[in-house]
Amino acid sequence: MASISDCSVYLPVWKIKREEIANHTGMPSMGGEKSVAHWDEDSITMAVEAAKRLKGNFDAVLFASTSSPFRIKQSASFVASALDLENAFTMDFSNSFRASTNALITANELVDSGKFERVLVVSADSIPTKPGSIYEQLYGDGAVALAVEKNGAAKIIGYHSAYQPLPGSWMLKDEFLSYDMRLDAIFGYASSIQRSAMSLLGKLGMSPMDFDRIIASAPDPKSYEGLVKAVGAKPEEFFFKRTGILGTAHPLFLLASQLEKTGRILLGGYGEGADVIAIEVSEPIQTNIGRMLESRKEMSYSDYLYNKGFIANRDAPDRPPITKLWREEKSVIRFYGMKCKKCGTVSYPISRRCVECGADDFEEVKLGERGRIYTFTIDYLVSPGNYVGDGAHPHCVAVVDLERGGRVLFEVTDTLTDFKGTECDAEVERTFRLLFEKNGFRYYGWKARPAR
Amino acid sequence: MEVAIIGCGVTKFGHIWDKDHDDLLVEAVTEALRDANLELKDIEAVWCGTFYPSTGISGNVFSDSLKFFGKPISRVENYCATGMDNVRNACFAVASGAYDIVIAAGVEKLMDAGSRGLPPIEGIFSVGMPVVSAPAMFAMAANRAFKEWGWNREDLALVAVKNHYNGARHPKAHFRKEVTVEEVLKAPMVAYPLGVYDCSAVSDGAAAVVLTRPEIARKLGCDYAVIKAIGMAVETMHPWHRPSESFLSFPATVKAAKMAYKIAGIENPRKQLDFGIVHDCFTITELINYQDMQLCKMGEGAKLIRDGVTAIDGDFPINPDGGLKSFGHPIGASGVRMIAELAKQVLGKAEGLQVKDAEAGFAHNLGGPYSVATVAIVSKP
Repeated sequence: MASISDCSVYLPVWKIKREEIANHTGMPSMGGEKSVAHWDEDSITMAVEAAKRLKGNFDAVLFASTSSPFRIKQSASFVASALDLENAFTMDFSNSFRASTNALITANELVDSGKFERVLVVSADSIPTKPGSIYEQLYGDGAVALAVEKNGAAKIIGYHSAYQPLPGSWMLKDEFLSYDMRLDAIFGYASSIQRSAMSLLGKLGMSPMDFDRIIASAPDPKSYEGLVKAVGAKPEEFFFKRTGILGTAHPLFLLASQLEKTGRILLGGYGEGADVIAIEVSEPIQTNIGRMLESRKEMSYSDYLYNKGFIANRDAPDRPPITKLWREEKSVIRFYGMKCKKCGTVSYPISRRCVECGADDFEEVKLGERGRIYTFTIDYLVSPGNYVGDGAHPHCVAVVDLERGGRVLFEVTDTLTDFKGTECDAEVERTFRLLFEKNGFRYYGWKARPAR
Repeated sequence: MEVAIIGCGVTKFGHIWDKDHDDLLVEAVTEALRDANLELKDIEAVWCGTFYPSTGISGNVFSDSLKFFGKPISRVENYCATGMDNVRNACFAVASGAYDIVIAAGVEKLMDAGSRGLPPIEGIFSVGMPVVSAPAMFAMAANRAFKEWGWNREDLALVAVKNHYNGARHPKAHFRKEVTVEEVLKAPMVAYPLGVYDCSAVSDGAAAVVLTRPEIARKLGCDYAVIKAIGMAVETMHPWHRPSESFLSFPATVKAAKMAYKIAGIENPRKQLDFGIVHDCFTITELINYQDMQLCKMGEGAKLIRDGVTAIDGDFPINPDGGLKSFGHPIGASGVRMIAELAKQVLGKAEGLQVKDAEAGFAHNLGGPYSVATVAIVSKP
């Protein structure tokens, strides 16, 4: 069996109080708050943000999401390229809230077989929900990344997976999430998890008493609490009040929250059946979950609607052809610049000649993560990501001098309409985002955000 | 090089909804020919500058407007410096002796582009580069200047107030209205820290000049002004990716100015010239231009405007015509109009806006993300 050696989570910088949603929609509040992606974040960008904190190489990338931006186009390959992986087996897991635990089980097999050394399991979700619906309050946005390899502090000691023919939750293309929660709650959830868990415990020759903590994703927080109490155990934090249910990323988020403590964990992933995985944490794994939870800002419901695309003009004019994106992949996605061998200048993007001295002798260099704003502006003629001539939203850009050299013009993101702190000499960091969408294609690249 | 300006024509600049680019060109060219006392058939070649709406129709922009067929016409495009680069090309053709009498004309119908600000230029930049509007490009210079030198929005506002004062007295200016510092500061934001009154107007218009060599001008018995030098330089279109870029000076201007000053034998422009026209696309641009044109030291641009040095009755008047700020900036036409304004001033024909004892002055045209600049020196014969 394999182990989890490292873990990183990503939560968008924005969150909204359910009370704020309730005040505007008139629907009862479920209390607490939920995590909300900025308009230029989707499951690909959040996956990159979570994964880029994990150092070292990966020879496989398993991406799990129910909200992949493309219907035909792999997300894992995008993630691999943004992480600047040289060669990797890439694979998408989708269509089920169980996708992330499916991916973790697969990673375990890939490593256990001896064919792969270090597998990245990364799961992200940003599920589209209708304003005023119950799902709007249930689901939040976020991502989790795990490094799976032979040796690590959290060992996978066993798993069992079984499907159940239930309608589950469903969403046809371009629709919003819907399902019959009663069916899931009454017939689906508890029985699925219990069935997989009993099979697993049988295989391992263990009982629920042998586990320190039981965590399992669920259609709602009450179903989880009921499940755990039924076997006489104490429910752990489900994060409903702080992040909302992060779609298929939720089981891995719950796991991340338990990796900082040693002990035996039973992890359940639910979705038309259940995956149950037994994990033993021998040494605590430091995660960034606390920092992610703490470094967030509250947004209003109108900003929420803007972020989710209900009020915004996202019609970008004609932009560079896709062939250009393909040629520029090393600069735009992998974020390499050039270092002149004659004058030593580091510049962006890679070009045939040095921008300072014109020499054509250079090496390609990976540019830094952080930098300082040299100058900036807030543009009211251009909307973020497009140029409609009648801005729907002001757009902040900054000239940033990166650590270790290189100067880049970035869009400053995560700002909404609050540009405080965007000033000369302010510290910013790179973040992978959607640049714009045009002709049915999403163009990704790097932006800057206030250091988090 | 000495080239004589023997005829000038400038249309009214502004929101000219009822006229097409060919109407404007015909008006400007007709006025320039009348001024030179010549006919269209006397013209041997034409350079026509235009940037946006007429792109794609090349030399036909001019030929089909004037029904001027069977002769050489080149279309020139060089961002907002299109107009003066157009004059530069025509000058060299005349100075070389290839042609005796030519026209340099410029036209722009920005109102047809249908947007706030300038229409976008699409598809040629890196995919990863954010789109930046024209005011945003210059706003980045302003924010750095604020940081570096302690300049502020009031300093910028003084530029708008001065240029609107002059423009209010020019019959062909787009905005013929004075403004106060308070009005400028209160105007809606366009690209922080530039508000509406920090920006030049988006306008329609056309301008034309008839050029020849001085000996021919004398033979024709025309009043004429002399273009003594034109300098021009092109820098990077990605100043934001060049680590040495200060955003406090526009290298294209510095180099174009040095070139023109050298050709004209000017070591101290404040002493050897009497006035200037600078490309005030935005208020911050005018202050930085003062420095780049060597009218003062780095960081002292704001002091010049505060002290009234560049007012029409100041020690070195800048933009006595009202500048792009109140005149408007139909791209292809602006640089040509600047040359016409210089000629008018040195010939003492700038009624109501005449700079006292104006014998020689410069004009400066800047384009793109400060990447293209042209500087011309014009004097009495």
